Amino acid sequence: MTDKNDSKPGPDSVARIDANADMAQPAQPNLKWMGKSHQWGTRVKPGKHGLRLGDLNVGIYGEVPPVWTDQTRAPRGAVARRGVPPLGYAIRDKVDLWADSAADMYEEAIQRRWAPATSVPWDTIAPLPDDVERAICQVCTELSQYANADVESVTHWQAQMAYGYHEIKQFLATVSFDGARHMEVFRKRALCNGGGLGLEGPGEVNRMILESRGGWTEAVLYLFVVRGLFTQTMYRYLERYAHNDAERTIFAHCLEDKARHLTYAIDHLRYAINHQDDQNLILQQLCMIGERVLVRELKDGVLREALAIVFGNGISGAQAGLQIHGRMMADYIKRYLATLKWLGVERRTLFPEELSAYLKVS
Amino acid sequence: MSEAKLPHTESHATAGAGLDLGWMSRQGEWGTRAVAGKQGLTLADIQIGSYGEPDEKSDNQTGRPRGAVARANSYRIGGYTVMSKSEIWLDNASFLYEEALQRQWSSATDVPWHTIKPLPDDIEEAQCQLATFFTEVEFVAGDVPARWIASTTPDFFEPRQCLLAQVMDESRHMDVFRKRALANGGGLMQTSGGTAGVVGSIDLARDFTEMSSRLHISGEGAVLTMFRMGELMAYNEAEKAMYRLCAQDEARHVAFGVMHMRYMSETAPQRREEIQCYLDEAERQILAGSQNPAGTQTDSSEALAILLGGGKAKYDEGVRKLIAIRRRQVQEYIKRVRSTGFGDRFDNGRSSLVDTFDHHVAA
Repeated sequence: MTDKNDSKPGPDSVARIDANADMAQPAQPNLKWMGKSHQWGTRVKPGKHGLRLGDLNVGIYGEVPPVWTDQTRAPRGAVARRGVPPLGYAIRDKVDLWADSAADMYEEAIQRRWAPATSVPWDTIAPLPDDVERAICQVCTELSQYANADVESVTHWQAQMAYGYHEIKQFLATVSFDGARHMEVFRKRALCNGGGLGLEGPGEVNRMILESRGGWTEAVLYLFVVRGLFTQTMYRYLERYAHNDAERTIFAHCLEDKARHLTYAIDHLRYAINHQDDQNLILQQLCMIGERVLVRELKDGVLREALAIVFGNGISGAQAGLQIHGRMMADYIKRYLATLKWLGVERRTLFPEELSAYLKVS
Repeated sequence: MSEAKLPHTESHATAGAGLDLGWMSRQGEWGTRAVAGKQGLTLADIQIGSYGEPDEKSDNQTGRPRGAVARANSYRIGGYTVMSKSEIWLDNASFLYEEALQRQWSSATDVPWHTIKPLPDDIEEAQCQLATFFTEVEFVAGDVPARWIASTTPDFFEPRQCLLAQVMDESRHMDVFRKRALANGGGLMQTSGGTAGVVGSIDLARDFTEMSSRLHISGEGAVLTMFRMGELMAYNEAEKAMYRLCAQDEARHVAFGVMHMRYMSETAPQRREEIQCYLDEAERQILAGSQNPAGTQTDSSEALAILLGGGKAKYDEGVRKLIAIRRRQVQEYIKRVRSTGFGDRFDNGRSSLVDTFDHHVAA
């Protein structure tokens, strides 16, 4: 890929550059930068999986302080230059973003990269009954919209994180790239089989994710746990009830991506709880708020009906599809509660009856 | 957006007992059948009918996919500041994005790290100083586009997808140069500080075209020239691979900037003078300043001279090669800007670039 251009520079401008370059005499170097390093002699060798980001954390390069006071783009371990104006990174406390697994998840994301254009066997999609096609297109429309909220949330926060925690920034770059793929692949599915895009979603959970005023940790809870687990469970069921290999492949790849996001999320939330007093209580409050928003959004029947038609293979099978949807919701809620329990976030009190009801039915 | 109507059938009425199904009558243009081409099912392939190019102005404040049917009661998530196509559009965004997806690479496994052998101390220090610089600056091009992605309506998702790919690319660049600095008995050295928020820097842009002119056209253009000449700076296959793979990514970023500016030149003549001012600023601040690794008398330019010459003892020879690189940076920048339709600045005396270059060459 080259930056193509057909025009030539004006003859005078380039000729002057050439002529003056030939006459130039090199200035004497000052070389004051030589010898300036906090830790010299570092020799990290590639392992079985190559030279990975986490392998670089040796000596001072692996010292991740609880607060990153440098407000420039100085890489961790580099010799900072004095007098550089600050850039104003808002997230400078390790407890607000850290996860030990981030470096590994970053490398895994790169190894497991996929391209919707070519990794999905689009030729396996054959015409479906109109009601099923409409339903899958509706589901894809809403999933594409979820992915958009993911992208906007992650890119907003990532840009505010200090450079001392580069593993997190780099991992989040993969998360936003995953979001781009998901937005794209669901749009492609909706437009490749005689269908089209459907009705947009209600958007209240999207709004909640994007309005996480309490910081990145709050956004992580809503984005990856409250909604992320819901999306992941949906992907699992959509893969199971897919109508062709293309759909199976789409949901399988998306599931892999989501698994990484969840790994980071749980790791970060655990770190936050272990390193900040009452963080588990704060998360509990946030869960109560988030669950109520989710309940309100779930009252909108569009996605439920569309899923029921997909699972039931048509409107005529929608009643059976609704039962499968119920099992899907029960799976989601069980997993959600188990995750929170493992983290030490209690959800026995004030858990929405509307969500508990799915557990009772299952 | 027209909504497709579902033909009502008796089977739907009876089988759908208990279901509303009203949404089935509220869907976008129906009957769309995008076909995969030789390169698979690309974004360009799905730009058909009403799902094709967006309107000039977007009113999408709910984050819905372009072409989806709006709900009256959908929550606004907006606050998007980029709502006009002319602020961000470029004609080949789909192509650039799909290429980015196909050309992703892993610094862990696609760089033959085992080919790095111990180098003379001055060469290793120079490599590490240059790697420190790149580790520092590459993610400017990650952070800044990230902010603009969150501010842009999803109706213009094609350029947004390109920017998302760029954030991923820059993350990889930040990572590969850190790896180089720590792989061969060296370490990270001193930062440049050149990415701090001085007036006119990339961080402080208030307009997307302003940002893109500095980042893509100027800053990344200068770095692209260097990466393309990586053979001259590399001492082993690992370093050659590193610069070659980075150059591949950087070329897409520069192409984004060029195509966007060309679009602006063709569709927004009322902003011409404004954009010329951005180019004035970019030329002053970036090409001749400390954010250019080949710039005048910076740590990274001295490190480059050592690498190009083959050691401290051959510094003068290295400087002569460095001057050739700077010459090429300027030539490529001029060609690039001419291709965008703003090249008149080099003919009417507006650009002081050549004079600036003369001054710094002689310094």
